[in-house]
Amino acid sequence: MASSNPETESNNGSSIAKEPEKPQIEAFRMPTMEEMRAQEVWNNCAVRSVASGVMGGGLGLMMGMFLGALDNPIMQEEMTGRQQFMYTMRQMGQRSWSSAKAFAVMGLIFSAAECVVEKARAKHDTTNTVVAGCVTGGTMSAKGGPKAACAGCAGFAAFSVLIEKFLDRHT
Amino acid sequence: MAANNPTGVDKEQAFGMAETEMEYRVELFNRLAQTCFNKCVDKRYKESELNMGENSCIDRCVSKYWQVNSMIGQLLSAGGRPPM
Repeated sequence: MASSNPETESNNGSSIAKEPEKPQIEAFRMPTMEEMRAQEVWNNCAVRSVASGVMGGGLGLMMGMFLGALDNPIMQEEMTGRQQFMYTMRQMGQRSWSSAKAFAVMGLIFSAAECVVEKARAKHDTTNTVVAGCVTGGTMSAKGGPKAACAGCAGFAAFSVLIEKFLDRHT
Repeated sequence: MAANNPTGVDKEQAFGMAETEMEYRVELFNRLAQTCFNKCVDKRYKESELNMGENSCIDRCVSKYWQVNSMIGQLLSAGGRPPM
């Protein structure tokens, strides 16, 4: 495999004026220990769930800022322009922080549950997504009692399956 | 040739044994990789990386294969005849 590379390169150099350039095929290299360890980092459930939590927090921040900016202040006539601006800023900050927390927790629980289930089953399926969605929905609506927990479980599981199918639609 | 080696093990014999051992190891690795690939990896390739389920399956498959292989090797080498 190592000998075929210089041949393709010399062929390309001589015929580049006549034909369009062929894609270079690289020789296959076995992964080194550093590459394997770097890949192993992402197999760890804790690392994955924390990363998902951070991403969820970022998403919640963006969404909260956007939705908070759309809110109009109640007292528009009494405050000057600068006061209105400060009020809007504080509203946006509060909304984005609370939404960031909610989304971060959701991302963390979902990712942790999916990782643990997939490692235990040793299969890559939609069942992992369903179970993880049910756990996430159940814990997030656990305060409303068992009925609310069941409804949250079913709803979030269905939502996660839809999102998963949407994200994998081209396979 | 035998006069040069006071230890009694012929050089050619040692080479032959090493070659047999190497063939055995290569065959073991190939069979292990083939078996665990067929068992664990879904044939409809969706992405190039191994996902976590496949990693976990491969870990278990290799561990089982290795353990059973060493157990059978010990039984065959100790017993001489398989108890059948």
